[in-house]
Amino acid sequence: MVRPPVDLSVNVGGLALRYPTLMGSGCYGTGAEFAPFADLSRIGAIVLKSATLAPRLGNAMPRLVHTPAGLLNAIGLQNPGIDWLVEHEIAALGGMPCPIVGSAAGFSVDEYAQVCGRLDASPEISAIELNISCPNVASEGETFACDANLTASVVRAARAATRKPLIVKLSPNVTDIAAIAREAERAGADALAVVNTVRGMAIDVERWEPRLGNVAGGLSGPAIRPIAVLAVYEVARAVRIPIVGQGGIANASDALEFILAGASAVGIGTANFLDPRVPERIAVELAEYLASRNLRAISEIVGRANAGFATPEQREGDAG
Amino acid sequence: MAVSASRVHETRVVARIEATAGVVVLRMQAPELAAIARPGQFVMAIPPGEASAAVALGLYDADAESVSLLFFVAGKRTKVLAALRPGEPLVLLGPLGNGFDLRDAPKDVAIVAGGVGIASVLLAALELLRAGARVRLFYGARTARLLVERERFASAGCEIVLATDDGTAGLRGFVTDALASAHMPALILACGPTPMLRATATIAASANVPAQLALEETFACGVGGCWGCVVPLVQESAQAPHFPKTRDGIVRARICAEGPVFSASELRW
Repeated sequence: MVRPPVDLSVNVGGLALRYPTLMGSGCYGTGAEFAPFADLSRIGAIVLKSATLAPRLGNAMPRLVHTPAGLLNAIGLQNPGIDWLVEHEIAALGGMPCPIVGSAAGFSVDEYAQVCGRLDASPEISAIELNISCPNVASEGETFACDANLTASVVRAARAATRKPLIVKLSPNVTDIAAIAREAERAGADALAVVNTVRGMAIDVERWEPRLGNVAGGLSGPAIRPIAVLAVYEVARAVRIPIVGQGGIANASDALEFILAGASAVGIGTANFLDPRVPERIAVELAEYLASRNLRAISEIVGRANAGFATPEQREGDAG
Repeated sequence: MAVSASRVHETRVVARIEATAGVVVLRMQAPELAAIARPGQFVMAIPPGEASAAVALGLYDADAESVSLLFFVAGKRTKVLAALRPGEPLVLLGPLGNGFDLRDAPKDVAIVAGGVGIASVLLAALELLRAGARVRLFYGARTARLLVERERFASAGCEIVLATDDGTAGLRGFVTDALASAHMPALILACGPTPMLRATATIAASANVPAQLALEETFACGVGGCWGCVVPLVQESAQAPHFPKTRDGIVRARICAEGPVFSASELRW
């Protein structure tokens, strides 16, 4: 008997994707950098590097430390500013074979709103990720995602600036991520990205000094996966909007943990630094996993390991 | 927009030589990569197994059918690569980076290499020698044992000046001390640790000789996607990313994408 094809498509708060994989912001350039190494028609979407209103030179070097099970980074939002980005880089992305998600960063509610406005006006941009959780900028970069009231105000302002799907990226460096998630949902987020990097540092024992120019950085990769899976599990019980689960996903089994915890799609960042073909491979293996269980669609298993999980899609699935 | 993964090379190890304890030269069957690789470029090698990141390695040598990589075993990922044996597969991404600019190169060139920097300069030496240039290799390491592959350079026709920290071969001291006291060439190429490159840049500037420096840095992606490996450049540099002007006229370029080779006079480090 010929099995019908497995449906890997997902809808992330209005962002329709053929594959449930988003290339993590800051890990994938504009996508063009990876075109010689990956088939961009077999990934879900590319999330651009976060942009601020004004150009930023970023942090002092070193910006990267390889650790036993992941990567510490402190890039510091180096970017040419949103105007330059829109005119010179985003405008060149029209031919990309997958949707492009813009990423907005900032240091005030108003700055976030302005960056979102510029991304909203760019036809090449299918959705906007609100990066309120960068751990690597000197002052208030991450403050937004660490405070429920600030999260609410910045999401409200962004919501007012765009009608495109708005994905709010949350920080794991909080006491109660579910409470922050609820505020983001109430303020108008269409989806949540869970999670950004975990704060960390490394010390050079020969020179007796921090290894990163910025001292502190964000840890990604397999080391943080259990932290991220729990965050998705808790957020999925607290909100009804879709979740993009991310944190150390390097294969289909990793991705399935997030999906079963309640993520509708997954973000892939650091694994692209091992092998840019990882996202394509994950899609193939997810299809095989579903087919071997006689399941037709990835959406059927979202949240299935999470008894307290109930999105509208999930309830619909149960009824069917 | 290209959608084919055209620069992914599924190669096979054809030879493995331990140049000295802890320094490995791997030769891979990779005709397509060999055909397009230029001196000073690098590849990202994907270690088999559970590694969390690929390893950036200079393209050491190449012939019609194969490329060679020379590396020091320094951590988990290079240890995995060093364990590869002939017949085993290895995926390489590349060639990456700009490489040395050897167009209209003069006929008297000095190459300065420190430690593992030797891995990125052989192809340049070979190309210059083929063009009839005099090539002097100023080669430094901690100790004589680590001055690997000297015979390869010598047999190709390089003149070699050695320096070691402990005096076990050549001059006792820095290789740049040897360069400073030598007859100045018309062009300097260099690859090695940052202090060596800085000293080379100073010597080149005072002698008014152009220098191309291949920078070493920790990479994450190696393809220009993460901005983890930047170096300050003057705004006017042809290698400056096309960014808006900053107040101090400095831009930060990606070593992996705009480099790894930069003109010494344009660096502001």
